[in-house]
Amino acid sequence: MKWTTGSAASAALRYGLAFASVAAALGLASAFLYFHLPQTFGTFALSAIAVTFWYAGTKPGILAALLSSVVRDFLFDAQTSAENRLLFDLVFLVFALLMTQVVRGRNDLQLRVAERTAELTRSNEDLRREIAEHNQAEYLTGQVFESSPDAILIIGTDYRYKRVNPVHARNWGRPAESIVGMHADDLLGVEFFERKVRPCLDRCFGGEDARLEEWFDNALGRRFLVVTYSPLRFGSERIEAALVIGRDLTEHTLASEALRRAQADLAHASRMTTMGELTASLAHEVNQPITAVVNGASTCVRWLTRDDPDPKEAREAALGVIRNAKRAADIINRVRSLSKKGESKRQLADINELIRETIFLLANEASRNSVSIRTDLDAELPKVMADSVQVQQVMMNLIMNGIDAMKEVDQTRQLTIQSRRAQERELMISVNDTGVGLPPQETNRIFDAFFTTKPHGIGLGLRISRSIVESHGGRLWATDNSPRGASFCFTLASFNESGDSLEESDRTSY
Amino acid sequence: MSSYKEGKLVAIVDDDDSVRVTLQELLRSAGFFSRAFESAEDFLGSGDQQETACLITDIRMPGMSGLELQARLNAERCKIPTIFITAHGDEEMRFQALRGGAVEFLPKPFDDEILVESVRAALDC
Repeated sequence: MKWTTGSAASAALRYGLAFASVAAALGLASAFLYFHLPQTFGTFALSAIAVTFWYAGTKPGILAALLSSVVRDFLFDAQTSAENRLLFDLVFLVFALLMTQVVRGRNDLQLRVAERTAELTRSNEDLRREIAEHNQAEYLTGQVFESSPDAILIIGTDYRYKRVNPVHARNWGRPAESIVGMHADDLLGVEFFERKVRPCLDRCFGGEDARLEEWFDNALGRRFLVVTYSPLRFGSERIEAALVIGRDLTEHTLASEALRRAQADLAHASRMTTMGELTASLAHEVNQPITAVVNGASTCVRWLTRDDPDPKEAREAALGVIRNAKRAADIINRVRSLSKKGESKRQLADINELIRETIFLLANEASRNSVSIRTDLDAELPKVMADSVQVQQVMMNLIMNGIDAMKEVDQTRQLTIQSRRAQERELMISVNDTGVGLPPQETNRIFDAFFTTKPHGIGLGLRISRSIVESHGGRLWATDNSPRGASFCFTLASFNESGDSLEESDRTSY
Repeated sequence: MSSYKEGKLVAIVDDDDSVRVTLQELLRSAGFFSRAFESAEDFLGSGDQQETACLITDIRMPGMSGLELQARLNAERCKIPTIFITAHGDEEMRFQALRGGAVEFLPKPFDDEILVESVRAALDC
C-alpha cells in the first residue's frame, strides 16, 4: 500500500476520498428520502467514514467523520433536539476512534507481514546461495575424486570400502561399484592387509595420520605405492572413516634405483681404472728392485764361478740382493691394502700418514715426469673417521691429475700437498699444481661423469672422488690458480673425541 | 774371462739407484770397466762420451729420455753402440731404438749372459 508514503498528490487524493465518500452518503440518503424511504444518512455516513479510514488513513477518516456530523446536523436533523444531534456526533466520534484503532492495527499487521516477508526472502536467498556453494564444493570434490591421478578411497572403520575413485578401480582391474562394500583384505589379500595395511588404518582410526610406502601386487603388476591415511570425521568428533590416497611412484622408484645402480657401476668402473693405473705404476715400481735383485744374484754367481772365486765380492752382491728384495716386498706390502676389493671400512685414520703413503706410491710416477712433490702438513691435525683406501684413492686421483696437468708445462713442475684445520671439526687437504690450470668456462663440468681433458682419460676420477668425499660428509672443489696451475681441495670431518656425531655406518654406496 | 783394457769404457745411465749400482757391480764381476750416471744430462755433461765404447741406458727417465739421448749423440756424430734396458719395452720404442743404431733392447729384468755378450760384442766392434 502506498498511502503511507504521501506525496502532495496522494494527500489530495486521500482527503478527496473523505469528501467524495461523505458526498456519496449524502446522495444515497437524499435518494432514500426522495422515494419516501426512512431516513438512513447515519448508516451511509458510517460506511463513508469506514471506507475513508480504510483506504485514506486516519486524518482523512477524521475529516470524513467531521463532514458527516456537519452534513447530518444541518441537512437531516435540523429539527431534532440538540441532545439528539449531540448523540449522533458522539456516535461518529466513537466510530472514528474505533476506526483509528482498526487502521493502526491493520498498518502494524502490514508492517509485520512486510518485515517477515523480507526476512523470509533473505533467508531464502541465503539458503539458495548455500546450496549453490555446497553444489560447487561437491562438484569440486567430485572432480578431484574422479580426475585425480592418484588413487583416492574412503575406507570405513569396518575396513570396508565406502567409496573408490577410477584410478583405484583401474589399479585393481575391477569396476568401482564392485569394490565398494568389499572388505579390504578381500582385495589386498589377508596376509598383506594384516601385516601392512591394517596397522596404518588402525593408527588412522585412532586419530593419527599414517603413511605406507610399499610394493603392491595389483592388476597392473608390481607397483610401488606411497599411501597416506587420514582420519575422516563427518561432522561429529568420532572418526568414521579413513581417507586413503595412493600415489604410484613405480617409475620414479625404478628410475632412482637404476640411477643408484649406475652410480655404483661408475664407482666400480672408476675403482677398477684407478686400480689399473695403480697396477701399472706398481709394476714399474716393483720391477726396479727386482731388476736389481736379478743383477745382484747374477753378480754373485759370477764371482763364485770365476776361475779364482771371490767369496767376499759374492757376499757383497748377495747382501745387495737381500736389500733389494726387501725393498720390493715393502712396496708390495704398502700397496696391498689398495688392491683389497670390497666393503668400505671406516676407522680412525691419520690423514697425514695417508698423504705420505700415497706420495710414496706415486713418487716414481712424479719423478718420471720431473715433478717435485712438496708437503706442508699440519702435525697437530686430529684424526678422521674414514675409509683409508677410499681417501687414498681420492689423494691418488688428485695427485695423478696434478702430474698429468704439468706434463705439458716447461716451467717448474711442483705439486704441493697441504693439510690443515679448516672450520670447526673439519680438516682440509689441498693438492696444488703448477700445471695448465682448469679448462676455462668448464670449471664446474670437471666433476661431471665422463668429462675429461686427457687423451686417454675416461672422465670418472673426479666424479668418483667427489662421491667418496661427500660420502664422508666432506666437500671437494677446484680453483684455478691463474696464471698457472690449479688447486683441488677437499674437507673431511675430524673425529670428535666424545664421538657423538661421527658414528657413520659403513656405507658402501658412493 | 779376460779383462778389458782401461780405454774401453762402458757408460750406464739409469735414474734408479738400485738398478744403476747393481748393474755396475755386474759389469765389474764380468771384468768390464764402467761409469754410472743418474741422468742423460749428467752423462752428456761429464765429457765421457768421446771415450765411451758402449752405452747402457734406461729409456724412461726424468728429463731427457734414453731415446732422446741416443738422438742427441747421433746428432753430435758420436755413434756409441747402445744397449737399451727398459721396464716399458713396447714395440714402437724398440723399433725406434734399433733404427737409431741400438745394438740391443732388453726388458728389465734381463739375463746377465745376454747383457754381457751384448757389451762384449759392442766393445769388439
